[in-house]
Amino acid sequence: MDTSTINTKNIAYPPGGILIWIIIFLELFTFGMALIAMVFYSKDEPEIFHQSKLLLNTTFGAVNTVFLLSSGFFMAKSVESFRDHNIKKTVLFLRWTLLGGFLFLVLKSVEYYFKIESGYTISYNTFFSFYWMLTLFHVVHVIVGIVILLSVYFGIKKQIVTTSIEDFEASAAFWHMCDLIWLLLFPVIYLIF
Amino acid sequence: MLTTTTALVSNFTLNKTQAAILILGLSIFKFFGVSFYFMELRTAHIFWKTSVVIFVVLLATILILMR
Repeated sequence: MDTSTINTKNIAYPPGGILIWIIIFLELFTFGMALIAMVFYSKDEPEIFHQSKLLLNTTFGAVNTVFLLSSGFFMAKSVESFRDHNIKKTVLFLRWTLLGGFLFLVLKSVEYYFKIESGYTISYNTFFSFYWMLTLFHVVHVIVGIVILLSVYFGIKKQIVTTSIEDFEASAAFWHMCDLIWLLLFPVIYLIF
Repeated sequence: MLTTTTALVSNFTLNKTQAAILILGLSIFKFFGVSFYFMELRTAHIFWKTSVVIFVVLLATILILMR
């Protein structure tokens, strides 16, 4: 198990590696532009956006925020444990991280079910077009993040751990990115209209 | 706690611009918490720290101005 220290003060080596941070910024930029577009279109139909926002369940959104933030906390603890060569704790914290991710997906599925049952689909109005596109795109990222974390989890559980600290940190950075995107989506979609 | 505060602010604040500023401000605070502490950006080169700060502040400013 390679946990040799990387000098993260070097511009070419941000935590997790430069490639993942390029991806993170590209994703944040993409979601940022979409959110700006959503607010821009809301200027044409402010009342429809407001009424549509009232149809969303803010409690679900807030609970999902708690799930992802808690998951992010355990991810950070997992990375810390991995650096300390404590595989038992690493695996434990990784399990909690995955649990947070799964709970997010479960609640999101429940929310989507209620929306579809009520007829608030992607073509219902402009607000819900943005709602479905943005949140589904985010859900895809969460699913990819879970797949990455599962591969890291099974890699760490092997007899001989071949996962490097760089790979582990990159996986963690991708997971935190999902959290960052949700921290932008939740207030804009669920709260400000 | 911050999440609960955000949800409550959205329901109780009267002026929509003030509400947007408060809500986005709380979200920015959480964003910085995740990026600087969970993602350990506090140990990174100043370029990455500045980039994240500029991105978030710029995005929030644009969203508030457009409201």
